[in-house]
Amino acid sequence: MSFAITAYNTIFKRNSVYVGSVFAAAFAFGIGFDSGVTAFWDSWNRGRQWKDIRHKYVQDEE
Amino acid sequence: MASFQAVKKSINLAPTVRALPSGVPAAPLLNLAVRAPAEQHGHGHGSSGPRADVPPSWAGGVSKSPFGLFTKTYTTAPSPRVFQQRLLHTSAVVKDAPEVPDFSHYRAPNTDNNRALSYFMVGTMGVLSASVAKSSVSEFLQTMAASADVLALAKVEVDLTTIPEGKNVIIKWRGKPVFIRHRTQSEIDEARSANWKTFRDPEPDEARAKKPEWLVMLGVCTHLGCVPIGEAGDYGGWFCPCHGSHYDISGRARKGPAPLNLEVPAHDFNDAEGKLVIG
Amino acid sequence: MLSRLPSGALKQAASATRLSSPSVVSSSRYASVRFASSRASSSSNAFESLMNSRLTLASATLFTAGTVAWYAHLYGTLPFIGEAHASHLSDEGLHPVAYPWPHNGFFDSFDHASIRRGYQVYREVCAACHSLDRIAWRNLVGVSHTADEARVMAEEVEYQDGPNDDGEMFQRPGKLADYMPAPYPNEEAARAGNAGALPPDLSLIVKARHGGADYIFSLLTGYVDPPAGVEVREGMNYNPYFPGGALSMARVLFDGLVEYDDGTPATTSQMAKDVVTFLNWAAEPEHDERKKTGIKAVILFSTLFVLSVYTKRFKWGPIKNRKIQYNPPADKTGH
Repeated sequence: MSFAITAYNTIFKRNSVYVGSVFAAAFAFGIGFDSGVTAFWDSWNRGRQWKDIRHKYVQDEE
Repeated sequence: MASFQAVKKSINLAPTVRALPSGVPAAPLLNLAVRAPAEQHGHGHGSSGPRADVPPSWAGGVSKSPFGLFTKTYTTAPSPRVFQQRLLHTSAVVKDAPEVPDFSHYRAPNTDNNRALSYFMVGTMGVLSASVAKSSVSEFLQTMAASADVLALAKVEVDLTTIPEGKNVIIKWRGKPVFIRHRTQSEIDEARSANWKTFRDPEPDEARAKKPEWLVMLGVCTHLGCVPIGEAGDYGGWFCPCHGSHYDISGRARKGPAPLNLEVPAHDFNDAEGKLVIG
Repeated sequence: MLSRLPSGALKQAASATRLSSPSVVSSSRYASVRFASSRASSSSNAFESLMNSRLTLASATLFTAGTVAWYAHLYGTLPFIGEAHASHLSDEGLHPVAYPWPHNGFFDSFDHASIRRGYQVYREVCAACHSLDRIAWRNLVGVSHTADEARVMAEEVEYQDGPNDDGEMFQRPGKLADYMPAPYPNEEAARAGNAGALPPDLSLIVKARHGGADYIFSLLTGYVDPPAGVEVREGMNYNPYFPGGALSMARVLFDGLVEYDDGTPATTSQMAKDVVTFLNWAAEPEHDERKKTGIKAVILFSTLFVLSVYTKRFKWGPIKNRKIQYNPPADKTGH
């Protein structure tokens, strides 16, 4: 309950803060969501993607 | 009285106005036959509704018309004489104070949580919408970028080991000639020692050549786009035959109409393989 | 309405009102109801005569026949009517089995090791006849080969370029930006080299054939001896999966034909699976990214839908549930 009041007073009360935190959260969410889906994709397709077999064919660079 | 208020209008009737057969003057815009609605409190003047003892005109009957007698009959017309008091009715009893059910059971004891939840849900929708909109816009903008096949052609690799010192090589890159000059030490010294601040387009040689022995420039005269000739001109660099612009050994405009130095394209050296990548 | 009632009902209604109404005038008025009803029934007679007329019958028949003819003209066939075909069911080709490709699922990417092997099969076997002209060397980079490998492979091929400063075309080693070389310079040469049959370009073959990857795999592994009674022309080969049964391409994949550099046994079905995976990638290079984007889109848009329903109810709930109570002002002028 106190959390609800704290959240309201810090974020929701002023519209400028609200909108600003929405955009900031959207930015963070975009990055986090992308990396999350990528992590799932990579674990689901482990061993099938090019980055999983690339080390076999790359000649020692430098 | 409170429910009825007549709108008073004053209209001047023309003296020549036609009178209806009833004697009422035919006045446009003015309904002289209108009557005030019935008053709710009984003064004994009766109701102004349909008379109970006469069948209403819409119930049919015989009427006279210019085309002869005219009969109108409706089967469902009730006899006005058969009048029955409605003793049963379904309308609610009017009370002074309207009854409002007790909603207190449904009311949240504390509205803080609900308020925060509502703001949170709406804000989350805003977050997701903004994220989706940002992705859409950036994806759309990426469609305007050069496609992969164009980008693949946009780079040219040159093997530098085949270019001896003191020689020019001209290659094609994006349809334009590119001069590659393997400069000798004396040429480097000459280019670096020149007082570049007095030039038309002041630029030090260090800013033009990433490696002092390699000079990479677009072979397009900055005046009108001719291709200058190498190892010519008054300054031992390039000379444009079209209008006589002279460039020095660093490709800087020194004489003639050219306003700018020869352009240096973006390029990188691949030291491991001795290659130059333009683009 | 009136005409549907039996006339006796009206009589009863009239007599009932007569009983209850003492006024003679009003009873005679109600008695005229019966005459009014007879007029209404005459209009139903007109409708019946319209329905029974020969003209209506003829025009309805004409309309029906015209509709059927128009449909047949548009679509060539009529529904629910069996047709006789001169062809046999085998002309459509055997329907391929649905194989469990590793990239079948919603979340499954291509097996890139298989793409790499499939490219090897294509290069060593298929490329003798089939072009792949929508795939450039650079497309292999980051998919099945490193940039260095692709560059080396490209440089093995000579490409015509030019014109140079003298206006001459010249040959140069391939670059990453070059497209896969075609085995024949043009269609006529391809037909001449293959007894009149044109080997199709394989860039989009998986998309271009009914059945897709399953069909290609079935075709590559489905060469059998023709059954009794089936005549296969000289130079043609029998394959039940090919529409018509006989095609110019002979069986090309045999066990041990290529040697995989990752040590996978090169059986016929393994090579067929690999080359079909490669061709599927060639037809859909965006496949992996597409599925990944699809996951994101489904998650995001379904969440947004739920949230929008919540928000709609949140915004509309008070509006839809409110009760408006109107207290009329007290009558101060009453007497």
